[in-house]
This record gives sequence, C-alpha cells and structure tokens, in this order.
Amino acid sequence: MSVESIIGAWVATGLTLFIFSFLYRDNPLFKLAEHLYVGVSVGYTIVKTYDTVLVHLIWKPIVEQHEWSLLIPVLIGTLMLARYVPQAAWLSRYAFAFIVGVGAGLAIPRTISSFILKQVEDTVRPLVALVPGEGVVLTWDLLNPASGVNTIIILLGVSSVLFYFFFSVEHRGPGKVVARTGIFFLMIAFGAAFGYTVMARMSLLIGRLTDLIGYADEAYGRPTLWLTVLTVSMLLLLSRRLKSEPPQEG
Amino acid sequence: MRIAERMLKIDRRIIFLIIGLCTLVPLLYPVGLPIKISPEVRAVYDYIESLPEGSVFLLSLDFDPSSKPELYPQAVALLHHAFRKNLRVVAMTLWVSGTGLADQIISQVARETGKEDTKDYVFLGWSPGGTAVIINMGQNLYTTFPSDYHGRPTKGLPVLEGVNSLRDVDYAVSLGAGNPGVEAWYVFGKDKYKFEMGGGCTGVMAPGLYPLLRSGQINGLIGGLRGAAEYESLIGRKGQAIAGMDAQSATHMAIIVLVMLCNLFYFVLRRQQQAS
Repeated sequence: MSVESIIGAWVATGLTLFIFSFLYRDNPLFKLAEHLYVGVSVGYTIVKTYDTVLVHLIWKPIVEQHEWSLLIPVLIGTLMLARYVPQAAWLSRYAFAFIVGVGAGLAIPRTISSFILKQVEDTVRPLVALVPGEGVVLTWDLLNPASGVNTIIILLGVSSVLFYFFFSVEHRGPGKVVARTGIFFLMIAFGAAFGYTVMARMSLLIGRLTDLIGYADEAYGRPTLWLTVLTVSMLLLLSRRLKSEPPQEG
Repeated sequence: MRIAERMLKIDRRIIFLIIGLCTLVPLLYPVGLPIKISPEVRAVYDYIESLPEGSVFLLSLDFDPSSKPELYPQAVALLHHAFRKNLRVVAMTLWVSGTGLADQIISQVARETGKEDTKDYVFLGWSPGGTAVIINMGQNLYTTFPSDYHGRPTKGLPVLEGVNSLRDVDYAVSLGAGNPGVEAWYVFGKDKYKFEMGGGCTGVMAPGLYPLLRSGQINGLIGGLRGAAEYESLIGRKGQAIAGMDAQSATHMAIIVLVMLCNLFYFVLRRQQQAS
C-alpha cells in the first residue's frame, strides 16, 4: 500500500466523520471539514481552469503555434475585466452583449426543438394503432409507454395541469374538477420526485459508509476505528463544555 | 405524556441512528436480494452489445466527487462493458471539478482490463464552455480538444482514427449530475448532429429525464445507484452498486415504516385530543 493511499484514506475518513458529526449537533469539527471542502473545491477549479484555459488553450497556441486569431476571443474576454475599472466599465457591455447574443441564438432554437416540439409530438401520440391483420387496436398495457391507456393518462395529466395553472378563469364547477385533477397529477409527480430524492440521498450515505468500511482495514492502519473514537470523544468533550458554560445573556 | 405524543416528539437523532444502522448492517452482512432489470437500463446495455468491434463510444463523465457514490459505479460498469466489446472509448468531462475523478476512473478500468491509452481509449479531459463544447465537438473535435488530458496532441491518435466530429460517434452516454449533463448532450449534441445516445444520472435527476426517454430522445437511462446495480447485473460483474442494494432496500423499508408510524401516531393523537 502506497503512502499516498494511506494518507488519502485517513484524510477521507476523518473528513467524512467530521461531516457526519453534524447529525449530532453543529460543532467545530464539522465547520473545519465544511470550510476545507469549499476551499479545496475552489482551489482545484482555479488551478484546472488556469492550466486548461490560460496555458493550453491560449498561451501555447498563440506563442508556440502562432494562432493569432485567438487574440479576438482573448480580447472579448479581457473586456469583461473592465467592470473593475469604473471609468472603463462600459467596455464590458460589449463582451456581455456578445455572450448573451451568441448564447441566446444557440440555445433558443435548440431548446424549442428539444423541449417543446419533441415533447408536444410525444404528448399527442395516436390513441389507436393499425396492426396488419388485426385492424384498429387499442392497447391497455400500462407497462407499455406507447399503449393507448398511457396516451389517455398523459393527455388527461397535461390538460388538467395546464388548466390548473390557467388563472384567468375562476376554478368553479367543472373547472374546479379539472383543476383538482391537475393537483392530483402534480402530487403524483412530486411524490415520484421525492421518492427518487430519498433514494439518491441514501445512495450517498451508502457510498460513504462503504468507503468507511473499506478504510477500517488493517492495511490502512484502521483509520475508521481510530478517527471514530477521536470524533466521538471530541463531541462528548464539547457537549460537556457547553453544559458547564453559563448561558449567555441577551 | 401519551405514547403517541412522545413518539411524535422523538429526538431526530434516534431516527438518524436507525437509518444509519439500516444502512450499515446490510453492508456488513449482505443478503443478496434479487435485482430486477428495468427496460431503460437494458436499452443502454443492448445498444452497446449490438455495436460492432472498433465502434466509437463517447462517454462524458459530467459529475464531480459529490455524486461519486451514484455515478462512479455506473461509469465503471459502462467502461467494463465497452472495453469487453473492444469499442474505442473516447472519454471526457464537462465539469471542471470532476476532471481528476474522471481520469482516475478510466485509468483504473483500463488497467484492470488491460487496455492501452491512446490506442484503445483516450481521456480528453475538460474544456471550458459547457454546452458550447458540445457544439464545437460537433463541428471539429480537434479544435475543441487540441490535446488530451495528458497534453498529447489529439490529432493522429490511433483511437481517434476516422473521428472528426460528433457525427462519427456511434454511441454516446452522458453520466450527468446536473447541468451540463444528459439534457445538454441531447439538445446541443444528438438533436443537432444525429448520433444515438443514452443517459445516466443521479436519482434526483431521473424523474426529470423520463420524458426524454419516453419520447425516444434518449434511448436508455441508468438512474442512480439502482440503475448502476442493474447494469452490473447485466454485465455479470458484481461491483459497488450491487453491494449497496441490500442497504438501499433496508433503508427504504425503514423510511416507509417510519412514515406509516408517524401517520398512525398523528391520527391516534388527533382522535385522543378530540375525545378529551
């Protein structure tokens, strides 16, 4: 086992346990791990961005391969920094105008095509299918996404939810029934989303516990056991100290 | 204080402890509950299975370490399958914070399967721009990634022979933990450059991607740790995901029981209050 792996195991175990200690109560160990996480993430992003963008995509192509056309995007990018100089801040508007213009031009047609037209096409599927030899067939298989019964459910769901968000008409009489149906569909959607969220969070817990079990191995020096003892002791000490301290006034 | 009232005011740390134990015990003593394969996961597997040897498989690892427990097993399973099928693997990431992890995953699986860097696979690394990277790759892969993660020029690499843009990709899978991810790859990649693609995502994102799956915009979807476990079952390789499935089932059961008990105590307490 390499020294880096052993050090990595101790650091990973310690930080995981420090973060988990928040489940007991907010404490300095949790704060330490939280601040380290933010700092390391930002530091890593800055270093990778510097290396990839400034060194490999700008400096090397311009200096070594003389790709002078790259100076145009560099200039546009540099204009953004003009915001920090009040007298020249107006120059940054050109850069932002360029980015907003290109971004909107690229995104709008693609988004309309993918999220509106394609989804509308899928919502208005034919209710019945023409099967050779069998004639017109309406399938009732709930597990088949293309079946007629699912087409009806989707049509009902989309129409009623859209009506629920249509506020120009008061939801009374038959309108109330449709709006209520919309709420019913929305609740099912929220339930499914929440169920998946619970599953995802549990997966994260499983991932961390799997690593902690792995790091309890003797080859790593059993960091899980030692650091659990350390974390629990620290929490007990902290709890005692808080109890012994008189409550602050004001 | 009545039992129902006391139970409703239970210290939340006891619930944390129950959930922790329900996760830990099955991890230490696995039972091996059966895993049913869903059609959306099978669709990804079947498509890769149908690809001829030497086809170009693009894997975009669009996540960072915070989503590792769910997407790492998916990436490992997909790479094992692709390498077993002798596909040419082109890996990359749209997330700067996931670059190191992505490199670690592909290097590890390649080492395990005896695959050679630049000949059987290449890791292109990260390039700035998010969705613009996908559009650029659709026009010219070499201007988007002039060099790979290790600084070698991409032009002339054996693994990229005959590959000029996304149009030359036979199958793409984005393992996304957010934006840019699966949706961006569909909107700016598949929809524009017409290649087949599947997706992998965290459990939180899965319900939002089902409309894309239903409409055929993506051909398959691997959702969360559960999806990874299904894929591991399909390729016959027990990994981290299958190992975690017992724990997942146990915690879900614990949560269901807790929700039911909570409701039961709530209604009991309400009835008692009404009676008194």
